[in-house]
Amino acid sequence: MIQIAIYKMLQTANGELPLDISLTIEKGQFVSIYGNSGAGKTTILRVLSGLTKAEMASIKVGEVKWDDTKKKFHLPIQKRSIGFVFQDFALFPNLTVKENLEFALSKNDSKEIVSELIELMELQSLQNSKPQNLSGGQKQRVALARAIVRKPEILLLDEPLSALDDEMRSKLQDYILQIHQKYNLTTLMVSHSLSEIFKLSDKVIVVDKGKIVKEGIPETVFSEQKVSSKFQLTGEIINITKSDIVYVVQVSSGNNIIKVIATEEELDQYKVGQKVLVASKAFNPIIQILNKLT
Amino acid sequence: MNVLKGIISEIQSHEGISLVKVKSNDFIFSSIVLDTPDTADYLKQNKAVKIIFKETEVIVSKDLNLKISVQNQIPCLVKSLKKGILLTQINLLADRQIIQSIITTNACEQLNLKENDHVIALVKTNEVSLSADD
Repeated sequence: MIQIAIYKMLQTANGELPLDISLTIEKGQFVSIYGNSGAGKTTILRVLSGLTKAEMASIKVGEVKWDDTKKKFHLPIQKRSIGFVFQDFALFPNLTVKENLEFALSKNDSKEIVSELIELMELQSLQNSKPQNLSGGQKQRVALARAIVRKPEILLLDEPLSALDDEMRSKLQDYILQIHQKYNLTTLMVSHSLSEIFKLSDKVIVVDKGKIVKEGIPETVFSEQKVSSKFQLTGEIINITKSDIVYVVQVSSGNNIIKVIATEEELDQYKVGQKVLVASKAFNPIIQILNKLT
Repeated sequence: MNVLKGIISEIQSHEGISLVKVKSNDFIFSSIVLDTPDTADYLKQNKAVKIIFKETEVIVSKDLNLKISVQNQIPCLVKSLKKGILLTQINLLADRQIIQSIITTNACEQLNLKENDHVIALVKTNEVSLSADD
């Protein structure tokens, strides 16, 4: 279990804003942090990793204290068992993929993990390439592998996939899930993508203006049943096509694909991959009996 | 999707169903929901709510004095029309709010709808959804 309590004054575009949060994360959980820019999401990861010091921080990972400002205790960053991947992770340009991974090893570590990760992340054909010859998605795959080389307890991901296109993003999500499970990691990910959060996380924390405003499983947090309509389902937009002056939005929900009409003005808010709630009133649907024996 | 803001002015409940009156500017909408003040937090007198109904559920009438069962009859002015082959989107100005309607282009032509026409927008009580506005 990881117990985190942080208080830190943030300097934002709109002046000072206190980040004041406390949360508990179970070992092995995949937790997403969601919220507006400047809400303090990245700071939480940075304080946890030891990159940033807070006015007040109390961080305990299992039985080990990482931060206890009351007792002026701060575990140095190199002693914290973490892997960190940022949006643009800088790989060493003069080293090959394999050398980049080996560089992350501690002195006495066996090189076995490097070949294991190269295989798991399907980097075999790229292992002797230099970073400049890799695509964005390939670089992030290497960055992810490198973050795992020391087998950290905690993996911190700060919008690692936001610069990638949808297809690459979805592939990388699969890799992230795979390493999270295989290495029994506790993962914290900052993300703006609802579909990504739904796909990966056990729990989501919504941060607004330095405070946690909501937390729970993604379904409950994002599809609060606030609208009176009783005919509701959540799903993901898979396709949008123009039809005369309106648009047909296709939503995949479980095994079903449904279609909903939308106007041109509404389209700004809808994107393929977006998680949505589709609602209609209980008064509209008709019921037809299936398997009627004649 | 039409989303208007309003304040609940009256709630009448019976056996799990509530008929809710919501004041939006000068117009009072009526909505029927499968909830009661006991089952839904937002169902309270004077509570701010969103009134939600689909464009395709908005009927347009040029006849201003209708003897008809539809409870929501909102006087509007036609602001603009977007004609398609089969469907037409009409932007209506109700008081200070815009209401959109999508009807067939045939219907639009039969009514000979033009900008600045005075019309009534009709929405059935059971087509109006409510949502807490916070």
